[in-house]
Amino acid sequence: MGAGCPLLLDFTRTNYDGMFLRRTMKEVERLFKVRQLRMSLNIWAVLSIVFALLILLPNVNILVNVFNEANENWNHIKEFLLKEYIVNTMIIVLFTGLFSIIIGTSLAWIISVFEFPFSSFFRWGLILPLAIPPYIAAYTYTGLLNYTGVVQRFLRNSLNVHVNQKHLDLMSMEGAIFIFTMFLFPYVYTITKAFLERQSASLIENARVLGRTPFEIFLLVILPVSRPAIVGGVSLVILEVLNDYGVVKYFGITTFSTAIFRTWFAMGDLDSAIKLSAILMLLVFGILTIENFLRGRKKFSYTSTKNRPIAKINLKGIKAVIAFGYTMVVFSIGFLIPTLQLIHWALLTYKKILNIKFLELMFNSLLIALISSGLLIVIALIIANYKRISDSLVARISSKITIIGYSIPGAVIAIGVIIFFISLDRKLYWFYKAINPDSGKLVLSTSIVMLIFAYIIRFLAIGYNSIESGYEKIGKKFFEASRTLGMNITKTFFKVDVKMIKTAILSGYILVFVDILKELPLTLILRPFNFNTLATKAFEYANDEMIHEAAISSLIIILISFTSIYFFHKIAEMEEK
Amino acid sequence: MYVQVKGLTFKYRNSEEDTIKDFTINIAKGEILSILGESGSGKSTVLRLIAGLEVPEKGIIKIDNKIMVDDHTFVPPEKRGVGMVFQDYALFPHMTVEENIRFGLLKMNRDEKERRLGEVLKLVNLEDYKTRYPYELSGGQQQRVALARALAPQPLLLLLDEPFSNLDKDLQEKIREELKVILRQTGTTTIFVTHDQDDSRAIADRIVILMSTAT
Repeated sequence: MGAGCPLLLDFTRTNYDGMFLRRTMKEVERLFKVRQLRMSLNIWAVLSIVFALLILLPNVNILVNVFNEANENWNHIKEFLLKEYIVNTMIIVLFTGLFSIIIGTSLAWIISVFEFPFSSFFRWGLILPLAIPPYIAAYTYTGLLNYTGVVQRFLRNSLNVHVNQKHLDLMSMEGAIFIFTMFLFPYVYTITKAFLERQSASLIENARVLGRTPFEIFLLVILPVSRPAIVGGVSLVILEVLNDYGVVKYFGITTFSTAIFRTWFAMGDLDSAIKLSAILMLLVFGILTIENFLRGRKKFSYTSTKNRPIAKINLKGIKAVIAFGYTMVVFSIGFLIPTLQLIHWALLTYKKILNIKFLELMFNSLLIALISSGLLIVIALIIANYKRISDSLVARISSKITIIGYSIPGAVIAIGVIIFFISLDRKLYWFYKAINPDSGKLVLSTSIVMLIFAYIIRFLAIGYNSIESGYEKIGKKFFEASRTLGMNITKTFFKVDVKMIKTAILSGYILVFVDILKELPLTLILRPFNFNTLATKAFEYANDEMIHEAAISSLIIILISFTSIYFFHKIAEMEEK
Repeated sequence: MYVQVKGLTFKYRNSEEDTIKDFTINIAKGEILSILGESGSGKSTVLRLIAGLEVPEKGIIKIDNKIMVDDHTFVPPEKRGVGMVFQDYALFPHMTVEENIRFGLLKMNRDEKERRLGEVLKLVNLEDYKTRYPYELSGGQQQRVALARALAPQPLLLLLDEPFSNLDKDLQEKIREELKVILRQTGTTTIFVTHDQDDSRAIADRIVILMSTAT
């Protein structure tokens, strides 16, 4: 679900103030004192540093390899194609961002200020579009709107209207922007709504007392005040758009993601794929810098303000109809219609699809998500625990590194991981030989290990954030009490810490699990031969013009995401009370 | 001397000033020492340094003639044999009173554990509450559990951080008397930190006043 939501607290933000260098020097000095060393060097530190390096290496690899000499192919790409990649990507990012802001903030405002029929359902119902991955939405809407789809059939048979196919063709830039907006706007909606509900009660009430209409308040108070929340939300939308491969591939649009795929798979040109990845990575860093700048110095802090809910205005008559109509339309397009369509298709195809092979596929999919999330949470626990205990420079850097993967598009991570594993295989060849004389050269890089490794890099931030906030809630005192009672760090971890933050561990696990289950680009590039997940299978069906057959896999993914969104909504509600 | 602290200097990571500067003190076995000071004078920090929860920049701490910290040594808190009662007690919320107290009894066999548990429960007069969870106890009872938990492993040195600050005023005097009796009874060497002169006078053999370094 709102995979990014826990992230908004801190997004690659480091305080590079003037004292930074001086402090760093002091930290280094401190490190080399024997007594400090005894305090900070332990298994937690060693493991954390190892994990941090493993995460960093593949990404650094990409940036380093940029300076490899360009081959002929690259010159061709640079001259004829690069501009198109950049322009297409930027257009989609720009308009999706813009429309997400319009829809997301307007809904956040309507929901947090007004009461109207079903408004309490829409409060969380409007998060549901996140349950449908954009690539699934893309082929669902394509099937819905094409010549044989339900919309055109209705127009043709019942109303005798023959539409120009151009008007309903979704496979275009406009179509991609529509899909991204309708299925990613909840990032803006959720963050802005949370911000408004917690922060703005007195501001809105003041403005009301001063005689402003609700709409004026929206423009003059709410938009400017919630700027940091909106920027935070929209940057998550943009990162998702840059990460996407499914939608643009299906629609046949060339963006960075599709270009990286094609250069690597179709042309077999890893060097150029690396160069493209590096450019995309720089683009992401650029966006994060702009985000930082736009947010200003404002940070999200809910703690200092009282948690007073806004007194909502009860809408009646035509106004209630308008508010309900608007939210209902967005909800229908973003969740209801595609889900119903998929259910319809599933009913048409279940006899053909549901067999042993499908069960095997589902089992594969769930198993790899379960295992990867488990490993990821263990790593997150280790780094978070180290950070909490030591709070040294090394610990803080390690914790920052966990966030990196989340902002880097899947295709880029995939390329980085491939280079890393191929070089690893080269270095380990003697070892493979020693164990099995007939061993091939590529062992790790053709195995599932590579995919799991990539999942961990990409989603570590989500698990880490959840666990870190769990630790922050309990503080350090129980840990210290346990130490003075004779338990060392590790025993304390198992007997006290894990038991006290188990809700945070569970939430982190679920969030990561769902994200891995839906993941497409990493899985497509890095999966072993003939290995399929629900996501890749649905995507394959859709690409083979078998949209109906993709419905069941898609629905399972949607159902699991839906459950997790509902679960977190309930938890959040309980915590508010 | 039983506890020796010499030239202790400490600074928190983000502060420019030393929180503790050249702090020296000696404590005899069985003595009850009170450190009296304003908030911000660093009195709790002294306790944290002795317990091993912070690492000093400079200085030496010895307990029972064993070096706990100097330029080459750092004994981690779990190996110091120092018990501590935290200001807000830090009772483990997921454990009962009994489990909280047993938590620190690591090196004993089953019978010894059982006996020791009975002893300290009796000492703090909470025998009937051992299956309760911390949130089912009053503030005064919680404080006594924290004390029992810290005393159970028979620490060489007991540290109390503002032991009365979370209690009602009329409860404070009662608990103060109880505490005095318990400490005398067990003969535990104790350092306790407070900002209240009455507390210090009521319990301590000796009072040390800590001035804020800022002034």
